Amino acid sequence: MSLLKLEKVTKRFGGLVAVNNVSLEISEGERLGIVGPNGSGKTTLFNLISGVHIPDEGRITFRGQDITRFPPYKRAPLGLGRTFQIPRPFASATVRENVAVGAMFGTLGKELSVNECLELADHYLDFMGLRAHADKQAGTLTPVEKKLLEIARALAMKPRLILMDEAMAGMHPKDIDKMVRLIQEVSDRENIAVVAMVEHIMRAVLGLAQRVVVLHQGAKLVDSSTKEALNDPRVVEVYLGHPPEE
Amino acid sequence: MGKRLSTYGPFIPVLALYVIIFLVGKGVQGMWQVMAMLTFYCALGQAFNIFLGMTGYVDFGYVAFLGVGTYGMALSITYLAHQGMTGPAVIIIGFLLALIFPALLSMAVGAVALRLRGAYFAIATIGVNEGFRYLIEGAKIWNGSEGMIFTSELNQVLGRDTASGLSTFWADVYLFIIAALAALVTLHFMRSRIGYALTALREDEDAAKVMGINVTKYKIIAFITSACFAGLVGGTSWALKTPYVFPPEVFEIHYTIEAIIIVLLGGAGTLMGPVIGALIYGLSKYYLSIILPGFQLLIFAPIIIVIIIAFPDGVMGVVKQRLRGTSLARFIE
Amino acid sequence: MLLEQLAGNLFQGLVLGAVYGMATMGLSLIFGVLRIVNVGHGAFIMVGAFVTLWLFTALGISPLVAVPVAFVVGLGLGFIFYYTAIKKLIKAPELASLLATFSIGILLEEVIKLIFGSEFRGYNWALPKIDLGVTVLPLSKLYACIGSIIIALILYLWFNKTRAGTAMRSVVEDTEGAKVCGVNVDRVYANSFAIGIGLTLASGVLLTMFIPVGINPYMGGSYTLKAFVIAVLGGLTSPYGAFFGGLVFGLIENGSYTLFALIPGVEPFALTRFLSFLMLLVILLIRPTGILKGK
Repeated sequence: MSLLKLEKVTKRFGGLVAVNNVSLEISEGERLGIVGPNGSGKTTLFNLISGVHIPDEGRITFRGQDITRFPPYKRAPLGLGRTFQIPRPFASATVRENVAVGAMFGTLGKELSVNECLELADHYLDFMGLRAHADKQAGTLTPVEKKLLEIARALAMKPRLILMDEAMAGMHPKDIDKMVRLIQEVSDRENIAVVAMVEHIMRAVLGLAQRVVVLHQGAKLVDSSTKEALNDPRVVEVYLGHPPEE
Repeated sequence: MGKRLSTYGPFIPVLALYVIIFLVGKGVQGMWQVMAMLTFYCALGQAFNIFLGMTGYVDFGYVAFLGVGTYGMALSITYLAHQGMTGPAVIIIGFLLALIFPALLSMAVGAVALRLRGAYFAIATIGVNEGFRYLIEGAKIWNGSEGMIFTSELNQVLGRDTASGLSTFWADVYLFIIAALAALVTLHFMRSRIGYALTALREDEDAAKVMGINVTKYKIIAFITSACFAGLVGGTSWALKTPYVFPPEVFEIHYTIEAIIIVLLGGAGTLMGPVIGALIYGLSKYYLSIILPGFQLLIFAPIIIVIIIAFPDGVMGVVKQRLRGTSLARFIE
Repeated sequence: MLLEQLAGNLFQGLVLGAVYGMATMGLSLIFGVLRIVNVGHGAFIMVGAFVTLWLFTALGISPLVAVPVAFVVGLGLGFIFYYTAIKKLIKAPELASLLATFSIGILLEEVIKLIFGSEFRGYNWALPKIDLGVTVLPLSKLYACIGSIIIALILYLWFNKTRAGTAMRSVVEDTEGAKVCGVNVDRVYANSFAIGIGLTLASGVLLTMFIPVGINPYMGGSYTLKAFVIAVLGGLTSPYGAFFGGLVFGLIENGSYTLFALIPGVEPFALTRFLSFLMLLVILLIRPTGILKGK
């Protein structure tokens, strides 16, 4: 059974069809890249999955439950985590507290005490290499550290699926490699599905994603394994001027 | 034990300050009324901080909760005295009403206003105190604009001696207890998921939602809790201490202003901030009223503006940052 | 008899409503452009009223001349507060700007109290009354109404026909887009705040014509509340929405007063003020983006 299932989902803003009749399935532990240029509808698609927008048509099921009309705060405890393109830590709280918030309101939220959440936070801070910063205010971190913090916070939710919004944009290639490794490792170990949204098919996606979905003008253009997608002439056409090796 | 100390350790210095205020008032000749005023400000700040400080939302109509709390106490004393009831039970029922009235009002206002974000929320609250005042005056509820005077009812319920002891001493002691309780509840929130949720939504409401936080629920928890403490403060300080209530006085926006100054001065969202803010504000107001009577607000208004621009974290915000990582840190919130 | 009275009161409401509307345009302009709620709005109206009072009683200058004077004073105050406080708070959390404008309001009240004292004052602009059929109206109120309409029209033309006005509109629509198109957003902010405050002071002049002896440092509070109801009626970001919101509000206020007066045993004046608060909550509940705004 698939973990997340979108059936003929459509979202319009005024006259503009931002997401057009998109169907999509993601299985447990799978790593998927959603690729599309600016305006292709991928941000809207993300917002539909995380509950920021409600679709006009279609159905979204997650772990067998219909979540089409769920507000975001009801989706997260089911195991749906998310990171933002520009990290949004809770600036005045400490790094540890930020990650603990993830644990507190995630899938285990009801079972863990506050102290257990703080311990779990330390565990993921270790994993992301942020332990030394645990007592700093999150607002004082560097941009790369903030990205790592966001991922730690999402992992502390013990999610079944993490939506990553341009997680690696603007990072140094070295940092990207490290991050890809970390995400792969935790995804395999904890059987977490990852949906990474990126503007371009970059090395990072190739390394991370097993499957690629290409969006074009709100509709699904390609849905295939990463290797096939790379050789698909339609993809090349969408990315004319943006060779895959970028 | 160590764990409990780190959980409730920060309550120790706050409680110590309350005890010091109490002892100075009791021990130093002529200081009781000054200390009682400080306690009122501590309790007001401590109560308001639970909402303004922890959520970052401004309620310009906050004084309405003190007002309806005052009415709760006033009504119970007046009505029950007329029924022939006497004894402390009347006061206890009064406290209950001083909790229930603000709780109901905060639920009604919160149900509308807390769906709204930031600026819209503030706009929605700006008329709550005036609106309620004019409802009471306009529809002549609870004696309308004539207000209620219940000195004789209070005497009848408790006896003359107890009643006068209440207004000169015990009401202020109750205020100490209310202030300390509000501080304890604040700390309890800070140490539980409520506090984490409130911090998250104060910093970034959308991100908080996506993290699984039902922001409306936590805002309402903070709002109702804060309102209930306000009601107790009103019922104690404005009904038991001075057994009369007039709508223009108990819905006077001036008290909202004072609450804002206290919370900001001390450091919004910190545990000790309201106490520090109340001490600074109360003492300077008291001495200014001797040196420069009538000029307090003229002096405080630019001070708030400077704090907002230059020191948005207030006194305790700065202290907390300084102490971060030191062994004192676990005693300060 | 009742209908006649109601018609008369509604007409008076319309006249007052035009002034209310104009008195809210500054609030909406500032919120539309800077996304800052001027909680001290009423205090600026109060300052405008005192400018009128002082010009009239000390120098014998007509309230009509006081309108442009108050506008210029408002521009000055607007620039001063913008560059000393508001500018630093545009990017800060909303809490900061709400509390700052609130404090600015208190500061103005206390300064005016220091200069003029806190008793209620008025001035006597002896103009005749005219009979308009439905009601008898003092000429001064008619001037205030016409003045409001003229100011609203000037603002409309200025917004739509000048470069500076167009720049402001573009910032209201889309701040980032305006930046990309080369609009100096910082200057637009400063100008809008100053003009908003200028308009508000000017409206204070016109409002004095409805309150013969109601000029007082703390008179602004009730106007702040009314202005919020009106602004919310008009969609909060649109000065014209605010103007029409004012007309509607004037009608409701005067109409409801007439009706409340029919209920025995209540104080109709207090109830109309309760009603304006209730309206605010209800509008925010059903349509926070405004009732009168299209789309």
